[in-house]
Amino acid sequence: MAVAEYYAAPGLLQYRGRAGLAVRQYFHGTSVPNYVAFGALAVIFFIAVFARQIAPYDPLVPAGEAMAAPNAANLLGTDTVGRDVLSRVLVGMQATWFGALAVVAIGALVGGLVGLIAGAVGGWFDTVLMRITDAFLALPGPILALAVVAALGRSYTNTLIGVAIVWWPLYTRIVRSEVRKLRSSPHMEAARVGGVSWWRLMYRHLLPGAVPVTVVAASLDIAALVLMLSSLSFLGLGAPQPAPELGSMSAQGLSYVFSAWWIPVMPAIGVALIAIVANFAGDAIRDRIRDR
Amino acid sequence: MLAVLPRRLLGAIPVIFALVLAVFTLQKVAPVDPVAALVGAKAPPDVYEAARVELGLDQSLPLQFWHYLTRAATGDLGQSSVSRTPVATDIATFLPVTLELLFVSLVFAAAVGCLLGLATAQGWRGSGVLRVVMVSGASVPVFLTCLLGMLVFYRFLNILPITGQTAYVDAPTGPTHSLLIDSLLAGRPEVFVDNLYHLVLPAFCLALIPAAAIGRVLRSSLEANLRADHTRTARSVGLGEKAILVRHTLRNSLGPVLALVGLQLAVMVGNCILVELIFARPGIGFYIARAIDKADFNAIAGVTLVVGVLYVVTNIFVDIAQSVADPRVAL
Repeated sequence: MAVAEYYAAPGLLQYRGRAGLAVRQYFHGTSVPNYVAFGALAVIFFIAVFARQIAPYDPLVPAGEAMAAPNAANLLGTDTVGRDVLSRVLVGMQATWFGALAVVAIGALVGGLVGLIAGAVGGWFDTVLMRITDAFLALPGPILALAVVAALGRSYTNTLIGVAIVWWPLYTRIVRSEVRKLRSSPHMEAARVGGVSWWRLMYRHLLPGAVPVTVVAASLDIAALVLMLSSLSFLGLGAPQPAPELGSMSAQGLSYVFSAWWIPVMPAIGVALIAIVANFAGDAIRDRIRDR
Repeated sequence: MLAVLPRRLLGAIPVIFALVLAVFTLQKVAPVDPVAALVGAKAPPDVYEAARVELGLDQSLPLQFWHYLTRAATGDLGQSSVSRTPVATDIATFLPVTLELLFVSLVFAAAVGCLLGLATAQGWRGSGVLRVVMVSGASVPVFLTCLLGMLVFYRFLNILPITGQTAYVDAPTGPTHSLLIDSLLAGRPEVFVDNLYHLVLPAFCLALIPAAAIGRVLRSSLEANLRADHTRTARSVGLGEKAILVRHTLRNSLGPVLALVGLQLAVMVGNCILVELIFARPGIGFYIARAIDKADFNAIAGVTLVVGVLYVVTNIFVDIAQSVADPRVAL
């Protein structure tokens, strides 16, 4: 060991444990703005997980005078019935953030699976599936999502299902094209010659190659999903009242924009914060994966 | 270039068929009972049954779909359960107002987006700030832009109106339902100007997200072209930066931008609903928001169909424009 330490690069020695080294290696080459983006992402995650614990008041119960301007007791003021806007925005950010993550997860899993199968099987099966995704992608997503949610009926779950239905074809495209590229690569040929079973080829030799592009697409999509979910909620296609949802809070407060601007504006700022952080973090994740 | 148009339009038919199928399926899975919506929940059984037969709901699903398809093809989109008028008539009244907004907004987005792209690609003073603005601009929900626009330009500066289409109560109401066109047809230029004045703030709010997106894409494609071999050759023979930009890089950088505009149109149409709701413009968004509120699914389905078809057709023209700008793009 002594010899190894002697010849090791000096920078490496300051990390005694394997974990420290691993973290250092993981973040190697990440630029400073990207660190900031990852930090902001961690903060958003923290807020989303502990929203109800951080919130100073119960988001559903009046906590002060109605329509009070931002003050020391209610940092972002109170709404028309006296509920604390900060508490409602925090809990609303939780719903929006996890909603967007859920849609991306469903979309990437379902779409990715379809893309994997289509790309691996090929033939008419592939053609039919690709025609279907083409049709989906040729139509205006937001309007289609709106129609699906309106048809399913108002609830937060239905909103997530409706958006996921129009979202999965994107991932099918991405995964399929990646799988088609991998199919003809030498490592696949070697595996095939080695007599690897079809299933093992799929999940061990094709799937891992499609993961990075999917992760990049998914992380860049989160901001767009946050905006779409909050827009649907603004139109009343989200969780019904009195659930603290950012979009519907803003819509409800619309008529008070000139008398109590904080009621509609603060939830909208909450949406913007999540979307901006998600966008910068998405860019940072793309940089990391591309540089590998 | 227009020679490919018939082929592309034919190619759009399966997509439009899929759209009709999707909307029909949605109508079938919707928990709203269309018969009860027509005759009322407390109608006697025989009245209910008669209405069910009249709507054709006693037939098999494929037959129902066939009737839906043929009626939609002839422009019959059913009746709105709120206004009790045919959905097609409603759309003909509301859609032109929306198209006006989208058109003006697209002009704004193109102008601002190109300016942002040019400024950042050439590294003008302060373009670092613009790059941050472009990334953030794409992340701001359209209702925040609208709210801030209302507060700043109406409440504090009081220079822009925020509700409706015009302040003239005797503004013309026909024949196209687009006030910009109707006012000119009626020989009322003052109404035309007033309508444009009312369009400025909503159109600008709607244009912000596409402008940021156009700026980002134009910047990256301009930067790629400014590093290309033919640009280096142009520079080496002594052309100025301006001439290189205008004659050798701008046009071939437009391809990705046009492709993006086609995609952004979907986002704009979606956001348009919110903008119309906030600025009380009597357009298709206003109509669909009311339909959502009253669970008027015929209206939602009709709007989805019409907007979907318009979107598909517009994108064909965008594709053609793309190959006009950059002939290397195959159609």
